[in-house]
Amino acid sequence: MTFETDAIRITNLEKRYGATVAVADLSLVVPKGSMFGFLGPNGSGKSTTIGCLTGLLDPTAGSIEILGEKFTAESAPLKRRMGVMPETLGLFDPLYAHEFLGFVARMFGLDEADTRRRVTDLLAALDLTDTRKTLAEYSTGMRKRVAFAAAVIHSPDVLFLDEPFESIDPAGVAAMKQWLRRFTEQGRTVFITSHVLETVERLCDRVAIITKPGKLVWQGDITVLANDGKLEYEGRGFNSLEALFLHLTGERYSDLNWL
Amino acid sequence: MNWNLIGELIRLRYKLMWAKARLRSGKIALFAIGYLLFIMVIALLAAGGFGAGVVAIQAGKAEKVCQIVLSALFVNAVFASLLLGFGMSAAFSEAELRRYPVYARERFVARHFLGIVDPFWLFMLALELGLVLGLYGYGSYSLWDGVAAVLLLLACSYLLTRLLGEWIDRLMATGSGYTVVVVGIMCLSLAPATAMAVFNKHRDLIPKAMAVLRFSPPFGAATAMTHNGLEMFYGFAMLASWTLAFAVLLAILERRPVGQPQVAREPGSLWDSRFDRVAALFGPAMAPMVGHWLRFYLRNRRFRILYGFSLPLAAFLTNNTGRMGRGEDNLFLGALGSMGVVAFIGTSRIAVNQYGYVGGAFRRFFLLPTDPGASLRAGSYAAVFLSALWIPPAAILWAIFAPRPLDPRMIFMPVMNAVTAMFLFHGLGLWTSLYAPRRGNYDKSLGNDMSLIGNIALIGMVLGCMFLPRVLDATAPWTVDPENWWLTLAPAATAIVFYIASLRGATARFPARRERLLAVVEGRA
Ligand SMILES: Nc1ncnc2c1ncn2[C@@H]1O[C@H](COP(=O)(O)OP(=O)(O)OP(=O)(O)O)[C@@H](O)[C@H]1O
Ligand SMILES: [Mg+2]
Repeated sequence: MTFETDAIRITNLEKRYGATVAVADLSLVVPKGSMFGFLGPNGSGKSTTIGCLTGLLDPTAGSIEILGEKFTAESAPLKRRMGVMPETLGLFDPLYAHEFLGFVARMFGLDEADTRRRVTDLLAALDLTDTRKTLAEYSTGMRKRVAFAAAVIHSPDVLFLDEPFESIDPAGVAAMKQWLRRFTEQGRTVFITSHVLETVERLCDRVAIITKPGKLVWQGDITVLANDGKLEYEGRGFNSLEALFLHLTGERYSDLNWL
Repeated sequence: MNWNLIGELIRLRYKLMWAKARLRSGKIALFAIGYLLFIMVIALLAAGGFGAGVVAIQAGKAEKVCQIVLSALFVNAVFASLLLGFGMSAAFSEAELRRYPVYARERFVARHFLGIVDPFWLFMLALELGLVLGLYGYGSYSLWDGVAAVLLLLACSYLLTRLLGEWIDRLMATGSGYTVVVVGIMCLSLAPATAMAVFNKHRDLIPKAMAVLRFSPPFGAATAMTHNGLEMFYGFAMLASWTLAFAVLLAILERRPVGQPQVAREPGSLWDSRFDRVAALFGPAMAPMVGHWLRFYLRNRRFRILYGFSLPLAAFLTNNTGRMGRGEDNLFLGALGSMGVVAFIGTSRIAVNQYGYVGGAFRRFFLLPTDPGASLRAGSYAAVFLSALWIPPAAILWAIFAPRPLDPRMIFMPVMNAVTAMFLFHGLGLWTSLYAPRRGNYDKSLGNDMSLIGNIALIGMVLGCMFLPRVLDATAPWTVDPENWWLTLAPAATAIVFYIASLRGATARFPARRERLLAVVEGRA
């Protein structure tokens, strides 16, 4: 593994929606080849950050570098090396899965033979062989699988996955984790948001935790946990990601005694 | 019946409407609609029908006046709603209402009660109440009988409209439904002219037709409003039975699920797609995107209705606008405009609102390694391509029916106008797609889900095509003289330049509009 260059470098990123500040002054570096977990409570600005990183949203301030190049919404050549699974999936409902994936593959410049081979492979691997249903008729998990397939079909160098595991069945998650591990072993980078901390703990090597509004509160290597090490924060040690997360985000729920 | 919950839902509906009205675009729309209604009322009053009505009422012909006015309103309400989609918006869908603890009966009542308090139906009610007030003021008929009759009639027309709408939706989901609907619309739009012609030839049929019409809802309402005693009772009974019958039929029909939209399975293998083969014409860079949009258009049921309907519509318009005035060449004047309508009516709904029907998939366009405006351009190319396909058949059709001896210049001029209209409309469509988007439902075959500006662009273009040749003929006849056939080249060239400039300009402004469009198409604004 080489960490010579950074896959993603975010400098003083800020994003406002009118008066709402969704991300405030976020700076973050994601090394090449890492499996990076980007965590935070609901509404803390994770999807907004991914939106800025993938060209969906224009940052209000700050700059983004991906694979060593400045990234904006117009960076078509860079986008060719990026794969994205957006939070809302972005599927064209009237299409069949193979049509949708074929469209994405061709848009990313794959030739006809490659397109067909990869679409067929992906549909088989993700257990999406029912070709008589349009995407609108797929179940929630099946739609998520299609969105995942669309993100990886052109074998990108950087992969952005916004809550990829939520609502996918255990077998599907296991398969995805395995592919993602192989993906990073080849020196490519994965940027994941998720609320399933057990999965993140086992899968990711680095983690950043943000709180509202898009403020970085902790980042570091979490592979120490596998060797019974502890995560450090202000002199305290935490022996799980969950313990650290709950401490940092101060999530406390009041008791609903009528429930 | 849980009236509390129904009341809650009605309150929520108006809250949502009010929330929309607070936005700037909502305010503009409200203002424009109010203005249009105002103009329509003025036009109605100025049309002279009002004075004539008063005279007729005073002369004791109130029932006749009521029959005519109410029938006209009834038929117009049903047609305006079905064809143009006014008053068809469902505030809450059945699926949404199922979230609440209400029974099927209550959902039915809630949905349709909310449907009928739509501004469009309230406007119809206001017109009908105007008649009631006239009867009361000039003729000393009962006010309350009139109000009751008009309310029942309104419910009747609303229910009939919904019934027809639901039926068409179910029909469209079947294999041959599409053809049946197109043929049905054609027959209906030709019906008034045909009926007039038949009655003019056979005057003896008129009393027989009247005898049948006595059993129709508007005639029932007229009877109820202008009679007393048993006859009034008979009128109300008839209206009530119609209303009840429509309600029951609607309830039965709604219980039958709409079939899955027929997406024609393409012949050949999974990969052999006619869309992609056609799209290859646009070069390797644009092909995938254009192919995508071709699919998007051709799988849309409403596109397919309008597209299939465009030639018959053009024939109908040529005939109707052609016969509006006097003079020899009038069919030619009709063709000058209606050929233009052919060149955009089919693609119109999606072309003025390209992203309104893609929903959350809109994001996808920004993740692709192209400049974001490529999707806008490709969509427009697909629309222009599909529209252009209709011009040659329309020209051939016109050549068959054109006055003899055939003058090639009289074919050339309408064709050039079609080119003008096509590029002008699709150029406008690029701008309305960016600046006046509206979230719509891809799967609905009925209803008007374009934005106000989108409607203005479309209706304005249709009216322009219908009346401009007439106006030119009256003011500057040399402009529509076949001798000066080459004059049509200038607007066509201008329209092409406008279209190309629009492609450039709209693409350049696309990134800045992205977040606004995203909010609209994902339903957040
Ligand atoms: N289009 C929008 N307009 C206005 N505010 C928005 C918009 N999208 C997001 N926000 C706000 O920005 C903040 C961050 O939202 P974001 O979707 O990035 O959160 P998130 O971390 O992805 O949350 P989740 O875990 O629920 O997915 C929230 O306060 C949200 O209300
Ligand atoms: Mg999110």
